[in-house]
Amino acid sequence: MTSTERLVRGAAAAVRPPLPVKMVIAGGFGVGKTTAVGSISEIEPLTTEASITEVAAGVDDLTHTPRKTTTTVALDFGCLTVDPTLKLYLFGTPGQERFGFMWDDIVEGALGALVVVDTRRLDDCYPAVDYFEHRRIPFAVAVNAFDGQVEHTLEEVRWALDVSAGVPVVVFDARERGSVRDALLVVLELALARTGPGPSAASAHPR
Amino acid sequence: MADGTTGQDPVGLEPVGPAPVGPAPAVRPFLVTAGRVADAGGGRAMPLETQVVATAAGLDALGLLSFERHDIVAACRLPQSLAELAARLRLHLNVVRVLAEDLREAGQLAVYVPDPEAVHDASVLRRLIDGLRAVPDSRGIPRNTE
Repeated sequence: MTSTERLVRGAAAAVRPPLPVKMVIAGGFGVGKTTAVGSISEIEPLTTEASITEVAAGVDDLTHTPRKTTTTVALDFGCLTVDPTLKLYLFGTPGQERFGFMWDDIVEGALGALVVVDTRRLDDCYPAVDYFEHRRIPFAVAVNAFDGQVEHTLEEVRWALDVSAGVPVVVFDARERGSVRDALLVVLELALARTGPGPSAASAHPR
Repeated sequence: MADGTTGQDPVGLEPVGPAPVGPAPAVRPFLVTAGRVADAGGGRAMPLETQVVATAAGLDALGLLSFERHDIVAACRLPQSLAELAARLRLHLNVVRVLAEDLREAGQLAVYVPDPEAVHDASVLRRLIDGLRAVPDSRGIPRNTE
């Protein structure tokens, strides 16, 4: 049984859709997220308006409910058809140049994330690193080599970001398809390593 | 009246404050959903990558549908995600969520919500890894032949 064989209630669709899976490309403003999406996407990156929640105070505070407001942001994304039954979506997280955004609506159900880093502005990616660490989403840090230049060694980046030992830190070039592909593969291998043994059947089910 | 056009004010009142920057959309985004928002029911909103595709009934009813509903069913002759649909039709994602739910209830759209367990499915991840490895780099060389 393939992933999407169950038909929607009461209405048979003419064409069976693929199982959609998604990964998230995060990082500070202007760090190359949309460039990375565009390098590997089979379509020109699209932009849509989406809502995210901005937390006024007390990020990740589980004991108090912080004040929240909903903000409309531009969301860039692309996709890659793996085969007729499986399609990968890549979403760039918007607004992460500031602390206190919640991207749950975008990130919910993501296989993993790539946090893109510019070594000249390392602290821009702190919110993204914090976010994925706290939500236990598999992620890797990808240092974007602007013009082939990386100003710090990977060990310096790892130390500065204080990411745990299990988080891969790699150098990549957001403009190069093969380089983006390899960085995404690092995340997917990490996600695969986290799957435990035992049967599971993924499917798209009608709502 | 109240048709969303930016014509002359029939009453002749001039705005007092500073003029808004840039043209306002002709129709406020959530007017087309009658003010309803996607996750008002307390349940989780449909994920961005949720696949939608027109049903035969939906395509048959195309001539009876109007505006955004017509555009959504027409665009969904081929399956696509809510995010693609919103981007291509220039609608707010949450507007598309509400209208897709309406069209699903009317039997005009099939909505496939992805199973969250797919994230933990090793077979899905392996297919994805194999598929991605076969993507050639900018010089046309796939990773698994390097």
